[in-house]
Amino acid sequence: MTQRSALLFFTLLTVQLSVFNLKAQAAVINHDNGTLRLQNPPSRIVVLAFSFVDALAVAGISPVGIADDGDKNRIITSVRNQIGSWQSVGSRYQPSLEAVAALKPDLIIADSGRHQSIYQDLTRIAPTLMLKNRGVTYQENLQVMLKIAAALDKTEQVKKRLQQHQDLMRDLKKQFNSQATFQFAVISDKGMWLHSPESYAGSVIAELGLKSPLKTGGGEAYLAAGFEQLLKTNPDWLFVGQYTRQTVLDKWQKNPLWKILTVSKSPQLVYVSANVWSLAGGMLAAEQIALELASHILP
Amino acid sequence: MSRYNRILAGGFSLLLFLSLISLFSGAQSLTVKTVISTLINGGDADFIINQYRLPRIFIAVLTGIGLAVSGVLTQGIIRNPLASPDLMGISGGAGLSACTVLLIRPDINISWLPPAALLGGFSAALFIWLLNRWHNPSPARLALAGIAVSAFLTSCINFLLVLHPVEVNSAMIWLTGSLWGRSWDYIWPLLPWLIILVPFSFYLAWSLDLCALGDETAGALGVNTQRLQIMALASAVALASVCVAVCGTISFVGLLAPHLARLLVGSRHKLILPAAALTGALLVLSADTLARNLAPPLELPAGVLTAVLGAPYFIFLLHRYKGW
Repeated sequence: MTQRSALLFFTLLTVQLSVFNLKAQAAVINHDNGTLRLQNPPSRIVVLAFSFVDALAVAGISPVGIADDGDKNRIITSVRNQIGSWQSVGSRYQPSLEAVAALKPDLIIADSGRHQSIYQDLTRIAPTLMLKNRGVTYQENLQVMLKIAAALDKTEQVKKRLQQHQDLMRDLKKQFNSQATFQFAVISDKGMWLHSPESYAGSVIAELGLKSPLKTGGGEAYLAAGFEQLLKTNPDWLFVGQYTRQTVLDKWQKNPLWKILTVSKSPQLVYVSANVWSLAGGMLAAEQIALELASHILP
Repeated sequence: MSRYNRILAGGFSLLLFLSLISLFSGAQSLTVKTVISTLINGGDADFIINQYRLPRIFIAVLTGIGLAVSGVLTQGIIRNPLASPDLMGISGGAGLSACTVLLIRPDINISWLPPAALLGGFSAALFIWLLNRWHNPSPARLALAGIAVSAFLTSCINFLLVLHPVEVNSAMIWLTGSLWGRSWDYIWPLLPWLIILVPFSFYLAWSLDLCALGDETAGALGVNTQRLQIMALASAVALASVCVAVCGTISFVGLLAPHLARLLVGSRHKLILPAAALTGALLVLSADTLARNLAPPLELPAGVLTAVLGAPYFIFLLHRYKGW
């Protein structure tokens, strides 16, 4: 080989290598509304749902804006402790596009179950990922978390943390080994909603090998329940998250039939945080749910 | 300048002033200079000004005009101060069908929404018309029937949204009316309808005045009353429906705007129509501006704010109305 052709070969090789490098840097993420290509890892991220905040915390990145309903306490402490301060961009139902745009984000992560009607507007502000948050189950959420990690170029770090998480879950599952049935429900002054194994908290309970008192295969995540449905379900353990101070449970507990329920005879009616168990939905929230279950069930 | 022209000019300047306020206020505070330079050259705040605040102002004004004109026509034809597209169930019908279309085909092109809403609006109108043929309506009965139909249709929307809980935020839009997430994309489906229907309503105004003298007198003066009634009602239903297709059931504008206009300019339709259109535009624009600025960045549905104004006025009307 002459010197000249060797030089040419070498040049070509470097060009090809650098092209390969460029390709390696661009993250390509399939999301619910298509495919998003990100040349550089984003740094100013606005998230419009709570479970995505959880994923960002795991990746060690602080969002600049969150649709937090104007209440910072909606973000659960285990997540809040891991991220810096953020600006509220309004409610999850109708986030203020103006507030989102004002933060000049380079990535927006929106809920594909809630923000379809503003997807076009969001893409005009910044590249937008549409991912499942509303009605997401435990396993689905882990996939969503990995997608977010890929978008942020933090896959390795997140996978390492995921490994820890899965060890914890497996460990707890081994220890639980209970034949009792477990039910989580949210309550307010308007009624009670049982979270089935299709819901987030329900799927965490199922993941830990704990039984649900509900017949499986209904496909519905949240079942509105009156007192009669609760009597019929009659779980051995009832975890409830309160949305309002006064709830229907206060009334039901005065009903003579209340005594039929298993949870009326044992200390197995447990009040938990609705923020953690119902609103948050993320890996860190799942750990908190699992540890809270452990603190009550394990001797 | 006559008193009437002064009122119109005053209303128009108020509308301009309010549009400016709406343009300059929001979750993000921008200086006057930034806003003006963004309007001309775009730049950093391009989305906030040109893609967000500006289209919302236009949509608010357009739907305000549409709902108000629809209200004037309904009240003029039915000769009933309690009549309006939302209390008659027309908005409910339009909302129900637009909402159904969106639930079945979430990815549908939004220019299909107005035709879908028209179908629903006309079906609701037809249903009320049949109800009224069945029993001889007094104005109060008509209003009651309308409210019942309206409540029924709203409950159908509610039922649909409980059954298919895919989009909670669209629920807010269809049930209370809101301009959230409405950009230029929504102006184009709305504008052609209004460009045809609003002038047509003005054309009908002359004859509507004669109708106020009673059907027989109007007939003697050369008005084909039946044809006029059908045309006026049809354009009222169409106007209300296309507005609902874009921003949901913003309540009470169709009731309130004609009444306020009548207070200001008397009862001749040629005079009421422009005044009511201005009032309607003012109502929806101020409701939306308030909705965006009461507790930023939280947004309220504009329909809630018009209801805060409208519901007490409706009760006042019921109280004053002696024709039971």
